[in-house]
Amino acid sequence: MIPDGSLLAAHDLRKTYGSTPALDGASFSVHPGEVVAVMGPSGSGKSTLLHCLAGIITPDSGTITYAGRELSAMPDAERSALRRSDFGFVFQFGQLVPELTCVENVALPLRLNGVRRKAAERTALEWMERLEVDDLGAQRPGEVSGGQGQRVAVARALAGSPKVIFADEPTGALDSLNGERVMELLTEAARSANVAVVLVTHEARVAAYSDRDVTVRDGRARDLEHAV
Amino acid sequence: MTLLDSRTAPPAAPESPKPASCGAVVLRDLGLGVRFAAAGGREGWIRTLLTAVGVGLGVALLLLASSVPHLLDERNAREQARSETQISDSPDVNAPKSDSSVLRINTTTEYHDRTVAGYLMRPDGSTPVLPSGVTGFPGADEMVVSPALRELLAEPGNELLRERLPYEITGTIQDAGLRSPGELLYYAGSDTLTTASGGHRIAGYGDERAGDPLPPLLIVLVVMVCVVLLVPVAIFIATAVRFGGDRRDRRLAALRLVGADIRTTRRIAAGEALFGALLGLLIGLAFFLTGREFVGSVEIWDVSAFPADLVPDSMLALLIVVAVPLTAVLVTLVAMRSVVIEPLGVVRRGRERGRRLWWRLLMPFAGLAVFGLTGRISAYEYAPEKPFGIAAGSVLVLVGLALLLPWLVEACVNRLRGGPVPWQLATRRLQLSSGAASRAVSGVTVAVAGAIALQMMFAAMNADFNRMTGQDPTRAQFAGYSEDVTGEAATSAVERFRATKGVDVVIGSVEAYASKPGDYADEDVQPTTSLTVGTCATLRELARIDACEDGDTFVVHPPGDKDMTAWVDETARKGKEVEIGSGYGKPLRWTLPAGSPTVHGRKDPMGETHYGIMATTGAIDAGKVPGAQITVQIRVDRSVPDVAEYVRNTAAEIDPGMRFVTLDSVERDRQYASIQTGLQVGATAVLLLIAASMLVSQLEQLRERRRLLSVLVAFGTRRSTLGWSVLWQTAVPVVLGLAVAVAGGLGLGGALTWLIQKQVADWWLFWPMAGVGGALIVLVTLLSLPPLWRMMRPEGLRTE
Repeated sequence: MIPDGSLLAAHDLRKTYGSTPALDGASFSVHPGEVVAVMGPSGSGKSTLLHCLAGIITPDSGTITYAGRELSAMPDAERSALRRSDFGFVFQFGQLVPELTCVENVALPLRLNGVRRKAAERTALEWMERLEVDDLGAQRPGEVSGGQGQRVAVARALAGSPKVIFADEPTGALDSLNGERVMELLTEAARSANVAVVLVTHEARVAAYSDRDVTVRDGRARDLEHAV
Repeated sequence: MTLLDSRTAPPAAPESPKPASCGAVVLRDLGLGVRFAAAGGREGWIRTLLTAVGVGLGVALLLLASSVPHLLDERNAREQARSETQISDSPDVNAPKSDSSVLRINTTTEYHDRTVAGYLMRPDGSTPVLPSGVTGFPGADEMVVSPALRELLAEPGNELLRERLPYEITGTIQDAGLRSPGELLYYAGSDTLTTASGGHRIAGYGDERAGDPLPPLLIVLVVMVCVVLLVPVAIFIATAVRFGGDRRDRRLAALRLVGADIRTTRRIAAGEALFGALLGLLIGLAFFLTGREFVGSVEIWDVSAFPADLVPDSMLALLIVVAVPLTAVLVTLVAMRSVVIEPLGVVRRGRERGRRLWWRLLMPFAGLAVFGLTGRISAYEYAPEKPFGIAAGSVLVLVGLALLLPWLVEACVNRLRGGPVPWQLATRRLQLSSGAASRAVSGVTVAVAGAIALQMMFAAMNADFNRMTGQDPTRAQFAGYSEDVTGEAATSAVERFRATKGVDVVIGSVEAYASKPGDYADEDVQPTTSLTVGTCATLRELARIDACEDGDTFVVHPPGDKDMTAWVDETARKGKEVEIGSGYGKPLRWTLPAGSPTVHGRKDPMGETHYGIMATTGAIDAGKVPGAQITVQIRVDRSVPDVAEYVRNTAAEIDPGMRFVTLDSVERDRQYASIQTGLQVGATAVLLLIAASMLVSQLEQLRERRRLLSVLVAFGTRRSTLGWSVLWQTAVPVVLGLAVAVAGGLGLGGALTWLIQKQVADWWLFWPMAGVGGALIVLVTLLSLPPLWRMMRPEGLRTE
């Protein structure tokens, strides 16, 4: 059921909100360092799949395995700890904490993991430099552009040395030029650090940066690798 | 064929309407705001309701406060109507009897720390006068009771009270005869009451005399209580009209996109606020009218009121109706000056240039200047205008403190750096926008500052209104005195007290007067001193007696009073006769034994020094002493449940008219005490209001950040991290607010005590109030945690 060598795999996930099924037997897998795009129309269940894979929500049934551990059976505290240590996140509107400066935002996952402030901010600045936003360190999110904010969000996702990054429509709020630059930086940085990326998008242009596509329709994921 | 070839011309654009007049534009924009507030969908309604309920609570409290003058007038009128028109106040007076006169004795008692007022009455004729609210004179061993007393007597567990009032209930006292619905009152009938047993004759009811005016110092206190309670309510209303402001700003941004200019958006916002305030007025009126119906059944610190007494003063009500909407509009317009609303759907707080201090200091200094102009007020000077100066000055100082707080919070949080993640999240949030947090705390700041100032005034005036009684509650907790219990009954009464459950010691003595025998001319004064008969144990409590055996007698000198000592010796001549009970029939002649030692008297637990002749029960038969009266001072074992009630029951059995008091080292002035009670009741209501306001404000901020909270949870942020950040975010402004409150309260209190020409009694009085303020914040934070936990669910990330 679980493809060999996969870092994160899901099998036959089902999830309903009220009477609306969001996932209806979805399966998925991703290998270390692999970039997988999850595609599909609005309301197809892409984000729900991503939230289940990240342990943010629990599926009604089905199994999720991360690095050989049954994620769906873990208690909330353990899943939270896993998200702090092994996962990174990029959302559509960046979702930076508005009151923190950009460097403090990037350092936040490290600080949540107990790294001291100075060391965390040093690492954060290094990632910001790689993502070409190191000059924004002292600015607050409200003072930077959408594209810059999204690159800060990517730096934040990478700063904690995650094994998997979950990106939910990371370029959805950006123009094509900025969107492409963000995708280039995200995928380059992830591949160089051997970080897997689960990329939720409905744009083929964005999905082109991935190694493999998975299509979700009516809550069912058609994972080509899984089908093999 | 192209469109250009078409014969039919495209429809012409509608003609631009003529420019409307300025007034019409303002009205149109205000109307638009009202429409947004009334028909803005669920979000709009939530915001409008938050404002309206907040304003409504404040308005209800203001209406309640404006009803207090009418409440007091009505209460005084009822009290005067039932107070007696007395003919005699002592059994010595041969007061004229009539068909309508009544003999009456006050039998008021205490039960579980509540006063049960009562009278025993005996009609002289067939048409006795009736107290107001009573329709029929109670027969012997019958009583009419207030509804509250009837209810209390019917409740299980009050057998001891039923035992004390063993009369058959034959009627209910109507509202016209009661001070308040919670009053415990009874009138019992008797066929044995006489003037000799303590009754006095009354001709009717209704005291036409005006009550004593409040002393000047108490007027100042009342004014200050009003200021301290009402300024936070006004601040609360000003805060409530800003509930949900962030969402409104976003909506206004959308209007900017379709061409509304800044002035228009401000007018629309004012219209929204106006609608919220008007709705708040209606809700407040509804709260007030609904609450008024229940007020009769609620009692706080022995204070209750009849619904019909709660009628707002018409001028004050008009002021509330005008001032509240006006405040709402003004506050909204001032608040919007610091917000930049841009057309692209983005509301960005303008990079604030930092709050300025100088104009915020103007108000407190103006307040102090008003104090200076008002001048000092003395305890004996009735200057009707001065309290208004004090009120105005205090309002300026307190509002000034509320204005100072945002500046102080901003100045302090901008200096905060580093720290763990929760601390960093909290301080950064405050650095970004501390206005909402400061506003939420400003009510508490003003309330606590005012309360500290008032406490200082109360403490400074303490000596004027609290009298040290000299009583010693460690030696005895109760004292009783009866004119009705004499002779044999007196000695047995002492024994009955001794046999009462929970009684440790009874200092029970029989007292009479002893005189030097002889014939005296009218202008001569017959030497007389007191005779006290009791056991050795009792006498030792009244005099410094070392050796004592039953049968001993003593001559007791008052310590340090030569004249009185000589006067005692004039009567108490050892080996010579004295007359006991002159004026009460045939006096008893008794010889003071020659060997009676002379000792010094000491203060009894009531604080009175005894002297004269003291005799043990073996030396003289107390039962045969004419004109003897009983005095008991009782020490009880406090660990025995209801011990006080057992003792009071014994007293009521012995003599229902026995004056029976609880010993207390301090006696408080009644008016002064009722102002303190009023402050307690008012402060409780205001603090509850402020707590509600803070909670709403806190929840609103959390709602605004729901999505961000979900994102932080997605990162794996611990709930405790976010919980602590919320706590710090509340605690930092609170600590600063309390610091301002303490400094401001001490300053205001110092100024006020100077004004009333008193000394500050204690500078450390602020601790309890600061503690209450702090506890309020902790309570609000705890109450906001469950919603915080709910909002920290990852479901908040869902957008579809």
